[in-house]
Amino acid sequence: MTNQPNRGQLPASFRDPSGFLFSRDGILYRQVNHAYEREYARLMESGLYEKLVKAGLLIPHVELDPSSAKSEAAHKVIQPERVAFISYPYEWSFSQLKDAALATLSIQRRALKVGMSLKDASAYNIQFVRGKPTLIDTLSFEIYKEGQPWVAYRQFCQHFLAPLALMSLRDVRLNQLLRVYIDGLPLDLASDLLPSKTRFNFGLLTNIHLHAGAQKKYSGAEVKSRAGTMSKQAMIGLIDGLDSAVRKLTWNPGGTEWGNYYDITNYSNAAFEHKKQLVREWSARMKPTLVWDLGANNGVFSRVAGEAGAYVVSSDIDPAAVEQNYRHIKEEKTENLLPLLLDLTNPSPSIGWANEERDSFGGRGPADMVLALALIHHLAISNNVPLPQVADFFAKTGKWLVIEFVPKADSQVQKLLVSREDIFPTYTRDGFEAAFKQRFKICEAVNVREAERVLYLMESL
Amino acid sequence: MHFAPLPYLDPGSGSFLIQLLIAALLGLGVAVRASWGKIKGWFGIKPKADEDDDESAE
Repeated sequence: MTNQPNRGQLPASFRDPSGFLFSRDGILYRQVNHAYEREYARLMESGLYEKLVKAGLLIPHVELDPSSAKSEAAHKVIQPERVAFISYPYEWSFSQLKDAALATLSIQRRALKVGMSLKDASAYNIQFVRGKPTLIDTLSFEIYKEGQPWVAYRQFCQHFLAPLALMSLRDVRLNQLLRVYIDGLPLDLASDLLPSKTRFNFGLLTNIHLHAGAQKKYSGAEVKSRAGTMSKQAMIGLIDGLDSAVRKLTWNPGGTEWGNYYDITNYSNAAFEHKKQLVREWSARMKPTLVWDLGANNGVFSRVAGEAGAYVVSSDIDPAAVEQNYRHIKEEKTENLLPLLLDLTNPSPSIGWANEERDSFGGRGPADMVLALALIHHLAISNNVPLPQVADFFAKTGKWLVIEFVPKADSQVQKLLVSREDIFPTYTRDGFEAAFKQRFKICEAVNVREAERVLYLMESL
Repeated sequence: MHFAPLPYLDPGSGSFLIQLLIAALLGLGVAVRASWGKIKGWFGIKPKADEDDDESAE
């Protein structure tokens, strides 16, 4: 009854016997197995599917002819709406993870109302679609039997509550632990790392500290009669309790690297506007579908690049900038921009079983257009990457490149050189162009008004 | 023929037990709130709209 591994089956989709994802001719499908027939019918017929889709909480899909199935176990084949860019929880800012947690709980509450329950609460099942956290696994629902506990409770605590608590109350950078622990933070580790005052917070005391203690004490113990012991009211109490524990966790950006970068930089207003105008013109001319803005800060230029309708992945290394970016898109209800936390000098690797479950950042490309504004000096000087290697990287990353050259005379570069030897004799405009001409055709080179910087439009060879 | 899907996640023994405890405790709260709502209803105070029925989620 379980599905056999199939050619074309996605490597991240193997755990759940209810069905799996596969791709054919570049289109993504989900096979629903016979084992999941009753659940699928309840989801569709109870009105839950429609309600969740309307609220933007579940990915919409269309049903296809089952003859297009991958294996005999097929009950149905569905084609879910394609997600423009898949992102992972270790690439999200605090509020992105928090909203994903609240969306999961909201889905669970709505499911309970029609006698269903989430059978998993994986952060990887949530993706940002039209700016909002959305469940992409249509097969995550099971029939709820009164008395049965929430099978996904542990996973919710590990994937959401524990990392959010650590980010909020210890250090926002601890979300990077999710990159190591693919099934969420071990709760004993979270319990150890959290400040001891969190033992006076009911939600964290119970769901993290006591939970970790119980896991240790009862590890491997057989629990008899797992059903018939938790009333629906108790289940709702549990979900409400988790909701309130999550809502109480907050984090505010500020006092970090780039938080107010545009206030301290040496741009004049004219230079800033000129840059915007060039980005606007070039993205309108090249009509990219997918833009990666690398080193996007709080996303000012991502918004400009998105004006012509492209989907823009707006990444930065600074959690404060990404947080501001996300709050901004939430407020403006922007649908085509995804703020992403990413260290370009060490981008997300491919992780999980056989290194295939979660894709590396590069593996999710290439983009049609890459923006690299005020970035080159960080790569070439702070991170010592030789210019030809920077060019190689960008050539693999996208077809069109909008890149800003920041000369040594620029005060931002001077700052980087103040405490170190200048070992970069080729870091000049000529050296930059010579390196990039190996991999790109330079289509435009414009001196930015009132600045010593040059903006280029290039096409990869 | 229908095959009931087996839960594919291990809920974990400790996680299971602590969940029962927390849920029992908080379930009481839900019951109290519900009764309080009913009492208020007798005096014509309407309950707040259910946020999960809103068009948009968080």
